Amino acid sequence: MQHETTDLPMISVRGMSKLFGEFVALDRVDFDVSRGEKIVVLGPSGSGKSTLIRTLNRIEPHDIGTLTINGKLINEKTDPIQLRCMVGMVFQNYNLFPHLSVLENCILAPMRVKHMSRIEATALARRYLEQVGIPDQADKYPIQLSGGQQQRVAIARALCMQPQVMLFDEPTAALDPEAIVGVVSIMDELAEQGITTVCVTHEMAFSRRIADRIIFMDQGKIVEITPPETFFTTPKTDRAQNFLNQMLRY
Amino acid sequence: MISFFSFLPLTRHFRLAAALAGILVATAGLHGLAQAEPVPSFVQNGVLTICTNPTLPPMTFVKGQDVSHPEGFDIDVAQALANRWQARLSVITMDFTGLFPSLSAQRCGLVMSGIIRTPAREKSFDAVTYQDTALVVVGRKGTPSLTSMDELAGKSIAVESGTSYITRLGLINDTLVAAGKPPMIIQQYPTEEQVVQQVLIGRVFAFVSQDVELFFRMRQLGDKLHVLITPDIPDYHHFAIYLRPNAADQTQLQSAISALETDGTLSALRTKWSVTDQSTKNGAANVSASSMFDWNAFFSALTSTAFLHGALITLSVALISHIIAITISVPIAIVLNSPQKSVLKIVLEGYVSLFRAAPTLLQLLFIWNAVPQFFPIFREQWFTPFLATILALSVNESAYQVEINRAALSAVDPGQELGASALGLSRRDIYWRVIFPQAFRIALPPTIKRIYQFAKNYLSCVCYFTAGTSGCDTDTGCTHFCFY
Repeated sequence: MQHETTDLPMISVRGMSKLFGEFVALDRVDFDVSRGEKIVVLGPSGSGKSTLIRTLNRIEPHDIGTLTINGKLINEKTDPIQLRCMVGMVFQNYNLFPHLSVLENCILAPMRVKHMSRIEATALARRYLEQVGIPDQADKYPIQLSGGQQQRVAIARALCMQPQVMLFDEPTAALDPEAIVGVVSIMDELAEQGITTVCVTHEMAFSRRIADRIIFMDQGKIVEITPPETFFTTPKTDRAQNFLNQMLRY
Repeated sequence: MISFFSFLPLTRHFRLAAALAGILVATAGLHGLAQAEPVPSFVQNGVLTICTNPTLPPMTFVKGQDVSHPEGFDIDVAQALANRWQARLSVITMDFTGLFPSLSAQRCGLVMSGIIRTPAREKSFDAVTYQDTALVVVGRKGTPSLTSMDELAGKSIAVESGTSYITRLGLINDTLVAAGKPPMIIQQYPTEEQVVQQVLIGRVFAFVSQDVELFFRMRQLGDKLHVLITPDIPDYHHFAIYLRPNAADQTQLQSAISALETDGTLSALRTKWSVTDQSTKNGAANVSASSMFDWNAFFSALTSTAFLHGALITLSVALISHIIAITISVPIAIVLNSPQKSVLKIVLEGYVSLFRAAPTLLQLLFIWNAVPQFFPIFREQWFTPFLATILALSVNESAYQVEINRAALSAVDPGQELGASALGLSRRDIYWRVIFPQAFRIALPPTIKRIYQFAKNYLSCVCYFTAGTSGCDTDTGCTHFCFY
């Protein structure tokens, strides 16, 4: 990562709305994410968390408002390929390509999008597979791996594009508790490396540990943005208090 | 049906009608100049032009697809004549009914097309005999020879449909019935090849054919057949070359033929084309074999050139039309699977519904008979029945293939596209590298099943259709039957 002295935020969102027909999925959302900052988005189901982070790499284009990433205004004129080189994403269901081996999953985009040579891409992929702890699974196919291993591959695959921002859309929601520990520890490690991260999750302990700030959403609106210690001890709003009560009961 | 040659089997041996046509059209150019020159007057500007209807192997027939280059005994005799007169040979092929009018109209100097010499034709044209022939009744090897046509009473006889044999057999039946005997049961089959197979498998007692055609066929069949009887039919003994009435020309042609006979040219050609009987005449020696099941007859039918040719057509039609169908169907399936509504989508939905619902045979007939009326380009020579079949079946099969593709594309998890686009892959890469490989594996089993089923069940009928419309000759045609 190059050292940036500028205070320009990595992500800047102003008055952003997203509609699905009549339904308002995002309602005039404003927030900034600084370089290297870790944001965790919390909120009940249907509050717009997933929609929010999907607008950040334009998998769901926003309808109103402005989105700026790394100083660039992102709209329908933006080359989606450039944008997605900059912003990586990991999904709840991994979305690995079942017809390709683990290694091929990782090198496809670097070769096709960044036009790396196979040797270069393979070296890169092996480095990230090492980092996510599954270097010896490179030649297996996704179906031969456990859920936790598959999610590690998905993370490695996204990292191979060397993005400046990583988006995680409930990466541990489909995993058993043991696998969650593994994936969370990888995300801890990534966080330490200083990559800008926006993560939708229900992992409270993880959120508390790594988040620089918590964005709490309800009904398409951002209800509050606070550091985790404040959020988990003295949330500003009743809505957040209710949510925490519900979550902590289990 | 529509094809230029499709009527040929109907008229092939129908000499009487042609003779009448000849009388009607013939002009009375009887006063040819008697010239002392060795070259007859019908050789003009050093070119000997003959008219022929290439549908009678081995006399004149087309091997393969190129109708403009017939071959056979007649063509080789014409070449030998041309060589004698130091002329170049030009061959014009046409429908049988066009031969004598063309001769009258001086489009050709000679008609050489395996035509029987009859007094009726000689009223309008001069004729020179060059080859003996006869009608033959043929049975399976081991069947005892006959002494009289009366012995055929009550027996089943196969003939090629549309030939003059049917009329002749009808006349014999009349005399049989008049004598208080049961008539012969005449069964018609579309090609000579099929006629022969019926005898080989024992479905009919015998078949009727022309001796030269039989001898030629014997080359492929070995000695599985033998001639039961050669009935003596008046006016049915010789093949003749016809020319416009001109005594001097006739004499010169006669002497040229005699010279070719003397120097052994004709006998060499007879051997080349198996015009004379070269089979061993020991048919009656093996009587016991006739009632037993003959594996050889069954396998020789399966491995006959006609059957293998048909199988080749079947396979190539199935493969080529499916390759085209798959190519067309992929983009259609993508459009139909997209969530947006569009006019294109409605049109394509109509296309798929129409071609899935309409009977395949109807579509074939539509492409072959109706499309040329809308688009003149399809009336040209290149639009062969084979191409028409490929076109019709490609369109038809693409409609089915669209549904297979749609199912396969829908079966690929939408998360695949999401994951791939999140990695920055282009639309092209998303389809070619991620979605198609997965959809392909899903679509492969139903597609292969479809091709197999299609070739197995439908195409036997289709191939038959193709053969029928092309005026497919016995040597090149299919022996497929339509089973439904």
